[in-house]
Parts: sequence; C-alpha cells; structure tokens
Amino acid sequence: MYSGQGYGDGGSLFGGGGFMPSQSTTAAADSPFSSRKSGSQSSGLLPLTVKQISGATQKPSDDNFYVDGQDVNHVTLVGMVFNREERATDISFLVDDGTGRIEVKRWIDGQDTNESMEMNSVQNGVYVRVHGHLRSFQGKRNVVAFSVRLITDFNEVTFHFLECIYVHVSNLKSQRGVNPSHVPQSTNTFGGPGIHTLPPTLGSMAQNSSYNQYMPSTTMAGSGLPVDECQKRVHAIFEEPASLGIEIGLHVDDVARRMVGYTKKQVKDAIDFLVNEGFIYSTIDDDHFKSTNA
Amino acid sequence: METSNPSPMVNAEQMKRFVGRKVRSVLRFLKFEAGVLTGQSADNQQVVVRQVQIASPISQFVEVIGVVEGERTLRAEICTNFGDNFDLSPYNQLCQMANAEYQALFV
Repeated sequence: MYSGQGYGDGGSLFGGGGFMPSQSTTAAADSPFSSRKSGSQSSGLLPLTVKQISGATQKPSDDNFYVDGQDVNHVTLVGMVFNREERATDISFLVDDGTGRIEVKRWIDGQDTNESMEMNSVQNGVYVRVHGHLRSFQGKRNVVAFSVRLITDFNEVTFHFLECIYVHVSNLKSQRGVNPSHVPQSTNTFGGPGIHTLPPTLGSMAQNSSYNQYMPSTTMAGSGLPVDECQKRVHAIFEEPASLGIEIGLHVDDVARRMVGYTKKQVKDAIDFLVNEGFIYSTIDDDHFKSTNA
Repeated sequence: METSNPSPMVNAEQMKRFVGRKVRSVLRFLKFEAGVLTGQSADNQQVVVRQVQIASPISQFVEVIGVVEGERTLRAEICTNFGDNFDLSPYNQLCQMANAEYQALFV
C-alpha cells in the first residue's frame, strides 16, 4: 500500500513536472510504474514459510528475492529455535517452522541492552516470531532479525500459517490482475468474507497485525474503493476538473457545503477514508485536500 | 537453510499418509502415564504418543513433533506445551489446507 502509492505519486510527479523533456520518455517511465502499482504493494513485510523462502527466486541483475512475483525485503516467520549460539556481537540460531530451517542472526550492541535482554529469553526449543531482513550471505539465505519475540498465545502459530496462505493467494491473484481484496471471499475456508470471519482468537490477531497491507480495511470490508454514497460523492467532487486545477486543492468546508444532506463529520470521515486509501492527500494544511490523480 | 527434513502439520486422519515420517500435531491433553501421552487430535480422534518427555505441568494443549508409527500412534521427538487456550478448529482447517491445496507452501 505505502510503496504502491509512493510509486504512483512518483509517476505522476514526473509526468506533470518539468524534469522529463520528451513525451516518449515520460510514457516509458510511466508504464513500469503503473504496472508495478498493483504488484509492488508487498515491498513491506511478508509472512512466509521457510519453504517459500527456499523457493524464492533471485534475478541475476539484482540481489532481490521474489516470492509470488513480489519482491521480498522484510519477512516475518514463526517457528522453533534450535542451535542457539551466542557470540560477542550477535546471537544466531535456526528457526524451524516445520517446512524447513533457516538461520537467523540478531546483532547485539552489548550486554544489558534491550536486544540482549530480549534474546536471553530466546532459548532452544521455544517458539518465536521473528521480524527481519532476508538476505543472501555466501550463497546461503538467512534472516537478520530486528525483533525476536516469544510466542505466548499459540494460536499465533496457526494464525501465521493461515496468513502465509492468505498473502500467497492474494499475491497470485493480484499478479493476474484481479483485485486482490476479492480473493479471500472465493478461497477462504471459513465460509465468510475474508479474515474477519476467523474465530475470535485469530481474528484479534489479524486486527493486531496492523503491518499487514493485505488485511481488508475495516471500514470498507476490504473493497478499497469508495462504496459508501458519501465517500463516492466526496471523491467525485475531488475528481472534478475544476478541483484538479486548484493547486492547493479544496478546503474541507467547501466540500462540506456542497454535500447537502450530510454533516461535516460525515464529510470529514469520508475524506479521512479517501486519504487512507490514497485517493486524495492533504496539501498546504490539514484542511486542504487534492486528488492524487491531479 | 534446508528444507529436506520437514515435519508437516497433520490431524489424526492425515497421519496415515506419513507412516515412518516426521510430523507435528497439536493435541488436547487427556492423560500421561509412564511416558505415554494420550491426546485428542484436532479432528477429534484419540492419539497415543510414546516416549514423551515434556516439562510439567503439562498444559491443556500439547504439540508433538514425532514420527508416525502407525495409525494414531506417534513416537515423540519434541513435545511443547501449547498453553490452555488453543483453538483446535482453525488448526484442523489449517492442516487440511496445508496438506492439499496449499501444500506447495509447506512441503
């Protein structure tokens, strides 16, 4: 979501700015951006199994890993700790998630630091959740962890693997050009729309994993498009050519005045939604907004 | 990293596909006598686990990583307390997905 929007903005910045003198260059620069737009949303954090990491492809041209067509940078794993080894500058261990084992290294600044305290509780045989950076070192893939936490509620183990499946399906569909947010409805085995129908124990974990860009937005039940009438109309106002032409965008009050029958609160909520979904952005202050299509 | 020695997540029904191989399964604890643990699997069948070494007190849910000796019998390698609050129903569904449609992600 974040980088996807970032690329989109970048593309439109170059398109409208004076940096690209020739029309053809602009078009050429635009196409990779727009084609990435749907696919690049996962350069955030990917929940993966070790098996998926072992199957990740690498292009000879760069050091990036790719899983399901997404480039993999940061990963999150859940598994059991083995072969813990403590050295002066780092603590390394293997994480076994049942699909395979991968080496994880945690750099330690010194004794009595937060990392060192956190790692003291991480002993062989415990289950941990690791957040880290996937890299290749001397031909071997390993994870440099920036967080290693003990699992205390073991439903998180179930949740992690379900999330791996969810994200995998979501990425496959988005590769095929289908709106990924519709995926869970067809594939989910819980008989309802998306991860919200998980049992309460897992549902709360889904809510807590706010890092996850694949989770359906709560307001929109995952559609990502303005479906609420108020949101639609507010969005339409921002998309009018006259609005697109104003450099500082529209003031909240101007929009609210045109939204007869809606309270200012409703209009503001709609604007918040559109900002969160990347349709509009705030300009000179917190009260002025403009379409990202401008 | 290596993926040559996986231990797939299974329910009791799926154990027979893995006889002689290593699996993992979360069981609801029933009893523990002379190193033999009896538990109820996510698909509501009784599973017997031999050679169990586990830290006491044993919690209500236990994950066994071990070799399938026969239908509903495991020889334990590692037993882990999974706490008293574990939902077996989504775990059962996960086992089904992980051994069918989405197997490529696991083994």
